[in-house]
Amino acid sequence: MANIAAKRIKREFKEVMNSEEVAGGYIKLALVNDSWTELQGTIVGPPDTPYEGGTFQLEIKVPETYPFNPPKIRFVTKIWHPNVSSVTGAICLDILKDQWAAALTLRTVLLSIQALLSAAEAGDPQDAVVAKQYRESQQLFLLTARHWTNVYAGGPSAIWEFDQKVQRLLDMGIDEHEARVALSHYDWELERATEQLFS
Amino acid sequence: MGFEIKRFQGDVDEELICPICSGVLEDPLQAPACEHAFCRACINEWISRQPTCPVDRQAVTASQLRPVPRILRNLLSRLCTSCDNAPHGCNAVLKLDSLASHLVECEFNPKRPMPCEAGCGLVIPKDELAEHNCVRELRALITSQQGKLTDFQQELAEQRLIINEHKRELALLKEFMRAMRISNPTMRALADQMEREEVIRWANSLTRARVTRWGGMISTPDDVLQVMMIKRSLSESGCPPHIIDDLMENCHERRWPPGLSSLETRQNNRRLYEKYVCKRVPGKQAVLVLQCDNTHVDEHMMVEPGLVMIFAHGIE
Repeated sequence: MANIAAKRIKREFKEVMNSEEVAGGYIKLALVNDSWTELQGTIVGPPDTPYEGGTFQLEIKVPETYPFNPPKIRFVTKIWHPNVSSVTGAICLDILKDQWAAALTLRTVLLSIQALLSAAEAGDPQDAVVAKQYRESQQLFLLTARHWTNVYAGGPSAIWEFDQKVQRLLDMGIDEHEARVALSHYDWELERATEQLFS
Repeated sequence: MGFEIKRFQGDVDEELICPICSGVLEDPLQAPACEHAFCRACINEWISRQPTCPVDRQAVTASQLRPVPRILRNLLSRLCTSCDNAPHGCNAVLKLDSLASHLVECEFNPKRPMPCEAGCGLVIPKDELAEHNCVRELRALITSQQGKLTDFQQELAEQRLIINEHKRELALLKEFMRAMRISNPTMRALADQMEREEVIRWANSLTRARVTRWGGMISTPDDVLQVMMIKRSLSESGCPPHIIDDLMENCHERRWPPGLSSLETRQNNRRLYEKYVCKRVPGKQAVLVLQCDNTHVDEHMMVEPGLVMIFAHGIE
């Protein structure tokens, strides 16, 4: 790893560890290997959002050319959000792409991702299905996001109706995550989800 | 790229840190409008990818970058740092602005050139001194020099071959010219005319010389020492080859005209010397008295194609 990248990451790691956000438990950062090329970030869902109470893991890969190129970050924890792929966890955030600036740090990036959870950008979606639901049936979107937070990120509020529907498909021999994806995509209409799964 | 922050004594102010490499600013430059400062190497690397300020993304091009204010430079130069060679045992603590000059002479620099004291006299980096083996190094040197020698010899042989070829061609050409001259009288006149003009052109290219002490004239010069040196100088000045040997012959009083051929005649004709138009033989205490420059001089004072007079001193 280039000297400058390792030097920066070491310093930024320290910066995050000494930050108020870590002290307050809003974000976390851990090393994955000794070479400082890969880290694991953790952010908690912001209050007054469907992600509240959830804990989301992020995979952070530091390129050789850091900080001249942005770190590659994706959600490891599954999340229902217009700017995050529900399949791969890829994040659509300008500062991780063309708006990256060398003075940004792991701390500011983690906080930006956290802010993205509070304020989705439906005009620039990463997941078209989620974005459509976000625009057209806001209420259903909020419930789905809360349900995903509950199931995958340890969020507190279970949604009984959704759990029932997933269970129905589970009984038909469908994989649990596949069932949940299908139901979420079809606005929790059991018939259409079933039709799609068996077609 | 900046200096490692751990090398500095005490806390370094955040303002002196490069936001790109997170080291202490090295040779800093600042963006024009927002005045954010970065190491020169860091900001150039960033701007080659994206023409913006890395802190606030304002548009910046490489040519707009400015040196940082003196106050910032002064603050940087006052920081105290350890030497680059601290891991090799250097305990020096230096102001940042004297680091560069210290590094040049730092005793602990593992790459410092040291002469081998075992006898071979080679200069080698200090850290290689322990592994150094005079015989091995010198053998390597000999091998490389032998290689070079072989190359040169080969080149020499090739050049000789080329020269011989040229010589043959030249002889052929001369023969051809001679045949042409003999068979065609106009050609002969033309060739003579060309040769005369060549002499005049050369004579005009030389600077005038004034002899201040005619008494310093050497009438019987040494062939090897003096004449050969004059010949080389004439040849370098562009003397036409068809007259150079005649001119060299005319360095000696045995070939001089009746008016100059003996000490006695020379003394009798001394007042005529001032009439000579003399040309300097570049770099030598000698003058050329060419026929083409001296058509006004009496016949008994001149020979074809001219005289060369070598002096002990007194040429201006």
